[in-house]
Amino acid sequence: MEVERVLAGDTEAFEGIVRRWQGPLVNMAWRYCRDRARAEEMAQEAFVRAWRGLAGWRRESSFSTWLFALAANAYRSELKRFPAVVVPLEEIAEPASPANQYEAAAEQRRHEAVRRAVLALPLRYREPVVLYYFHEMDVGAAARTMGLPEGTVKARLARGRELLRKRFPHLNETGAPGASAALRTGGEALR
Amino acid sequence: MKRTKNHETHPGMQHHETQVDAMDRILAAEEEMVPSSGFVSAVMERVREEAAAPAPIPFPWKRAVPGLVLVAGVLGWGAWAAVRFAWPALHGFAHSSPQIPVTAMPALEEAGWVVLALAVSLASWMLSMRLVRRSGML
Repeated sequence: MEVERVLAGDTEAFEGIVRRWQGPLVNMAWRYCRDRARAEEMAQEAFVRAWRGLAGWRRESSFSTWLFALAANAYRSELKRFPAVVVPLEEIAEPASPANQYEAAAEQRRHEAVRRAVLALPLRYREPVVLYYFHEMDVGAAARTMGLPEGTVKARLARGRELLRKRFPHLNETGAPGASAALRTGGEALR
Repeated sequence: MKRTKNHETHPGMQHHETQVDAMDRILAAEEEMVPSSGFVSAVMERVREEAAAPAPIPFPWKRAVPGLVLVAGVLGWGAWAAVRFAWPALHGFAHSSPQIPVTAMPALEEAGWVVLALAVSLASWMLSMRLVRRSGML
């Protein structure tokens, strides 16, 4: 395994780990800041921290759990130092209902507004929402990444989603029949 | 990275089935971002730099411990002396006279210096920690 080789002093073996996990870590960082260049910088920092702390992985959890938790810590501290530029939640307008020839573009704008609104949530609610969807709606995985009990994450997630629903009261108009099917399709396309 | 989705664990979804699905659909269907081609080499470059850098010099605890013990002793003694001298004065102040006894004045003055020294130490420690954090060393 690459981890063993790195621990044995083979620095180059770490490249295999980077190649394997670059996609998830960059995508996770993207969800924290929605800035491509910054997401790569944050993921790079997470990998360097992983390299430094590899010996500290106790194998009580899987490598991915350890790596995601480490990355989440790195992203959190990075965003505390230099917060992402966000529009306050109350200033994010809900785009009008799509009802014309530009329906697709309007739909796209609506989706982007919802995604940006996640960044405007207070950190304690934002992170569970970000990680819940990053982990394909697996509360347990989000809780392990945050190092918090599942109950706490569920409560914060519910609050975060409630804030989003208040901000976008007309979301249900677009969600109706077939939403679950679209969800499945969209979710599977994630990774 | 393929994971099983658990659609039944949505917190608070009972009364907002349609809304939750719409929100899920939007937030879960985030487009996949492909890292730039130079990402792996950039990471490895940093890792190699880290690997090549000399190991950080460990904090010289053996040399520092006597000094730390001395400082702690002085501070402890100062605090004890301040309390010992100031307590009767404060006690007297509370029970009898609103005026500070002349004999207590030097003690209070000493206590004031001790407090000032502690405050300056604390402030300098906090400032240095802040600078270190900003520099990214921690």
